[in-house]
Amino acid sequence: MDSRLLDILVDSFPKILIPGLTVTLPLTAIAFSIAMVIAVAAALAQFARVPVITPICRFYIWIFRGTPLLVQLFVVFFGMPKVGITIAPFPAAVIVFSLNEGAYCAETVRAALEAVPSGQLEAGLCAGLSYLQTMRRIILPQAMRTAFPPLSNSIIAMVKDTSLAANITVVEMLRATEQINARVYEPLALYIEVGLIYLLFSTVLTWLQRIGEKRLSAYENRGV
Amino acid sequence: MLLRVENVHKSFGALKVLKGVELSVDKGDVVAILGPSGSGKTTLLRCVNFLERADEGVLTFDGERFDLARMAKRDVSRLRKKTAFVFQSYNLFLNKTALENVTEGLITGRGIPKTEAIKTARRALDKVGMLDRADHYPSQLSGGQQQRTAIARAIAAQPEILYFDEPTSALDPELTGEVLAVMRQLAEEGMTMLVVTHELGFARTVSSQVVFMEGGVVVEAGPSRQIFEAPRQERTRVFLQTDQT
Ligand SMILES: Nc1ncnc2c1ncn2[C@@H]1O[C@H](COP(=O)(O)OP(=O)(O)OP(=O)(O)O)[C@@H](O)[C@H]1O
Ligand SMILES: [Mg+2]
Repeated sequence: MDSRLLDILVDSFPKILIPGLTVTLPLTAIAFSIAMVIAVAAALAQFARVPVITPICRFYIWIFRGTPLLVQLFVVFFGMPKVGITIAPFPAAVIVFSLNEGAYCAETVRAALEAVPSGQLEAGLCAGLSYLQTMRRIILPQAMRTAFPPLSNSIIAMVKDTSLAANITVVEMLRATEQINARVYEPLALYIEVGLIYLLFSTVLTWLQRIGEKRLSAYENRGV
Repeated sequence: MLLRVENVHKSFGALKVLKGVELSVDKGDVVAILGPSGSGKTTLLRCVNFLERADEGVLTFDGERFDLARMAKRDVSRLRKKTAFVFQSYNLFLNKTALENVTEGLITGRGIPKTEAIKTARRALDKVGMLDRADHYPSQLSGGQQQRTAIARAIAAQPEILYFDEPTSALDPELTGEVLAVMRQLAEEGMTMLVVTHELGFARTVSSQVVFMEGGVVVEAGPSRQIFEAPRQERTRVFLQTDQT
């Protein structure tokens, strides 16, 4: 490897990593947290078949799962100003990623709720718990255990998907890389470098997933 | 009289499962419901504890009358706190230990302070011989141990009546004894119980009353002794003879 290339890689590393730590990860963390709130609420509403809310949830999920994420970003960032709503790049990305991820995770959580044996709800009611208490104390914790691996998958996918925010001028890792590349033109080396940093983030998350699963599996069969 | 149901009707689609069932339970009674498979025993019990909504029927509980087809939510939750249900498949809370299974209904359901609830729960677990397994999760317990824990959960809040739906049917034969022994002990202590069972031995020796159901109606009801020794109805006689092994 020639020394110019090596210098470029060493020099660019912090310039890519820092937007990763200050933009990519916060974007993922904030949007995923909001998405989880949306997902649990939408899943519970559908599970309980709340009138009016349930069809609204179905509609929301239909829209956000049925259209490309990039199109959603464009509509909010480039489209909304046309109707007088101008949103800065980062908040626009937070809104879109939250709503998009919320739609997918709502389905994950709903499926997990439905996978809890129906006897659990009946037992809760017969033990003197209200419907809401049973959901909160018995059904939801079991469902979240089931949903944990697919939700971990979703957050790992999301870390990488935030690179799409580059298209609405959010200077996250990919856009930071592009800016460096525009100056030095080393696309192969630089894009591999940013790819490796994404891989590092994903690896850490995978590792956190393992730990999380271990802790959550406390009540699962450890053999009698 | 603690509990009385009259004229209970329930259909699933076109299938009429209950066709005017009537039965009553006095305080301290142990009433066994017998009958062939599909006769509607489980459905009846589920209607009585509002897990199914009856199409028609009157429930009298502790002197209060309720329309089973139009129960108010408030009445349902109030009555459920005076009763308890033991399921065929135990249905212990899978994410809770044995102890937490018992305290959950006390603390969350009834607002009893935690320390007091734990004391009560430990007493209940002790009674069913499960105190040494208090910290185990359901997945770490045998079927018999799970069902005994479920009974502890049921009795902890001192319900006025306990409903059982074939509490030993899901168990290996060698484990039914430990559960039946607990039930027998509860009966001796004067607990009021309404028990759907296939255990004729239990019905004969423990229950005070027997209700024989077939085809969605009560064919015959009376003191256990009379039903076993001198059933009035031919169908009861046939059932008791063929089912006895
Ligand atoms: N949720 C349901 N939907 C449709 N049919 C049902 C439902 N629950 C019960 N049934 C039907 O109602 C009839 C009576 O069922 P039930 O479980 O009350 O009988 P059972 O007397 O408890 O029988 P077993 O001794 O086998 O437990 C059966 O034909 C059953 O298939
Ligand atoms: Mg049954």
